[in-house]
Amino acid sequence: MCGIAGLINPEFSVEEFPKLITGLLSAIAHRGPDGAGYVMADNFVMGSVRLAILDPEAGIQPISDDSERYWLCYNGEIYNYLELRSELETLGRTFKTKCDTEVVLQAWLQWGEGCLNRFNGAFGFALYDRKTKQLILARDRFGKRPLFYVQQGKAIYFASEMKAFLAIPGFAFEQDPSQLRSILGQWTPLPDQTGFKGISSLPMGEWLSFQDGQAERHIYSRLSFKSDIPIQNEADALDKIRSTLSDSVALRLRSDVEVGVYLSGGIDSAIVAHLAKSHAEQSIATFSVTFEDAQFDESAEQKLVAQRIGSRHLARHIRHSDIAQACPDAVYHAEIPAFRSAFVPMYLLSKLTSEEGVKVILSGEGADEAFLGYDLFKETLLRQEWDMLPDDVRRERLKRFYPHLSHYGDQDTAALTGLYQQFSTEHMPGLFSHELRFQNGRFSSRLINVDGEQNPFASLSGLISKNSDFDKMSSVQKAQWLEYKTLLSGYLLSTQGERMSLAHGVENRCPFLDPAVVNIAAATNLKFDDGFREKRLLREAFRGDLPAAVVDKRKFPYRAPDTEAFVAERPDYLELLLSDTELEKLPFLNKKFARLLINKMFTTSPDRISTKENQTFMFLLNIALLNYQFVTRKGLGSGTSLGTLPPLQRVVDLRTCSAS
Amino acid sequence: MDKIRTFIEEQFLIEFDDTLPEYSNLFLEGVLDSFGYVQLCRFLEKEYNISFTEKEMTSNILISLTQIQQEVARKLSEKSTSQTPLVP
Repeated sequence: MCGIAGLINPEFSVEEFPKLITGLLSAIAHRGPDGAGYVMADNFVMGSVRLAILDPEAGIQPISDDSERYWLCYNGEIYNYLELRSELETLGRTFKTKCDTEVVLQAWLQWGEGCLNRFNGAFGFALYDRKTKQLILARDRFGKRPLFYVQQGKAIYFASEMKAFLAIPGFAFEQDPSQLRSILGQWTPLPDQTGFKGISSLPMGEWLSFQDGQAERHIYSRLSFKSDIPIQNEADALDKIRSTLSDSVALRLRSDVEVGVYLSGGIDSAIVAHLAKSHAEQSIATFSVTFEDAQFDESAEQKLVAQRIGSRHLARHIRHSDIAQACPDAVYHAEIPAFRSAFVPMYLLSKLTSEEGVKVILSGEGADEAFLGYDLFKETLLRQEWDMLPDDVRRERLKRFYPHLSHYGDQDTAALTGLYQQFSTEHMPGLFSHELRFQNGRFSSRLINVDGEQNPFASLSGLISKNSDFDKMSSVQKAQWLEYKTLLSGYLLSTQGERMSLAHGVENRCPFLDPAVVNIAAATNLKFDDGFREKRLLREAFRGDLPAAVVDKRKFPYRAPDTEAFVAERPDYLELLLSDTELEKLPFLNKKFARLLINKMFTTSPDRISTKENQTFMFLLNIALLNYQFVTRKGLGSGTSLGTLPPLQRVVDLRTCSAS
Repeated sequence: MDKIRTFIEEQFLIEFDDTLPEYSNLFLEGVLDSFGYVQLCRFLEKEYNISFTEKEMTSNILISLTQIQQEVARKLSEKSTSQTPLVP
């Protein structure tokens, strides 16, 4: 795992290149504390910071081919690199290292962009061809590794994290009200959104070419849930799920350093931990967050799994004060406004992981999207047949979904029924599955005043209309597609996953995001059940390997205390919201709504605050912190604290017009 | 009936105006979720000493301010009719 950054800007003097690139790389030094390197020529400079996982000695970057025509800066891991290397060797390609970085370079030289679909991994890379003066940027198919870019006239800047751009002279961050409104509506950014004007995220499954000042984006992988795997019966499905996941975990254990597992307490990470243990040659370490507040705590199940597999288990206990204290640092690393605080404990967990000397962890992200783990999928199934169901069946199904309803009065069931009644038909074309969720988002989006397009979901509608396969999908498949393109990539893998791990130099790997796993899930979902017991086949596939209390546990969404933690602790930075002068610094804010919301949060008991109000407050706090750090450049975003360059391991100077 | 408008505006942090007219579907506009719907019904029942059956809550009669006001007025009128003593 690494971070990369670079630029092409004809207006910058080549003499400035060393200072420029070391500035950019210093800002993302946390991603690769083991070493830094860069290459510069008359028209480009790019480099990387490296977390050494494979072939620590020989894998120093940047690397080139023998002719020094092609240069590669690479962030990520290609898990099937050994197989690709063998294939390339039989085609006559030779290798100098045992590192996957060289496989990426040789694969591109052999197959061009056709190599991207052969990669099973998590990556973002920049490849420069000195002969054609073409820059290629590429990103993995699920968006596990980030890559941001800015195109300004004939110039392009790129980096693994946006904070690198703070080191570019004259570059100003400005929050984009239109994108913020969209982000608040759909809960997360769309694949190309960042919340900042002029900065784009290269979407998952795409590559970009930049030549002669022109950028062009190309899609190499489209998300599909069509599967041609033949499944004979349920026993066959269970066998195939087991073996596919086992292979996926084995591939992700390829590492020259110790690998750990994040245990949430749920079934997904328990399966990963069990399989990791069964493949590992030695004992493995497991890491968890536990909570002072019992409603969020899953330590009982975490301990059960750790005991079953005999891992060295470590937990980071989280109190309200931890969340309040670490929030600004976590937001700085996340860079994108988040709708809940649950990423903050993950920031503290990766710190513990790093302190324990573990650089690589496996986790369960991607299981709920592939194997239909979320309530959202069940809700979609129920709502689409709602109008045809008798009242008693509706009530019975709702009670199955929401077991807590049996503890409340009839009025609560009636309220939920009334809510479903309103969402039993599609109001937003293509977005039927997410209309209940987006109702909360519509409330949050009121925080942002915009000129022009008022509909927060206009960009999302645009995205699905460009995807011709989308219309042909079932309602549940559409729901999956939307989850992969929004909540998974835009929050779970990024804000809560990769950005928090890499804040402390820990690389996360997700066995459920192997194309073969997504494929076997697509082949088996809803074939042997009605979908109303979430992830049933996955649970049954591993029933014999894990404690029953974990296998049979209902989906328990990972959450952390939100507003209540900040209200209880009242950290100094809440002045960003409590002071009218500070609120005025967010010119696009609907201040009347913001003040009403803030006042309610501080004067109302937590049990009278709704989910959507909580979420809107978290968005507001995040936007204010990002404005403080990135726009006004105070605190962590100030020029003096952008980071320290890791030990410089390689500098390649190909400049011909250098004054030095 | 202004009390209903005030309750919704204060409780759900909105303001009825040109962008959110009183006839708007409060569910689709992101104002009411099931949590808020229960709060609203409890307020109406307590404030006006009326009650809503499950059937009323699950039909489409309590979805906009206009409809809610009409429904409450109807229930109050029904109540006052049924409570009017018979003139001998």
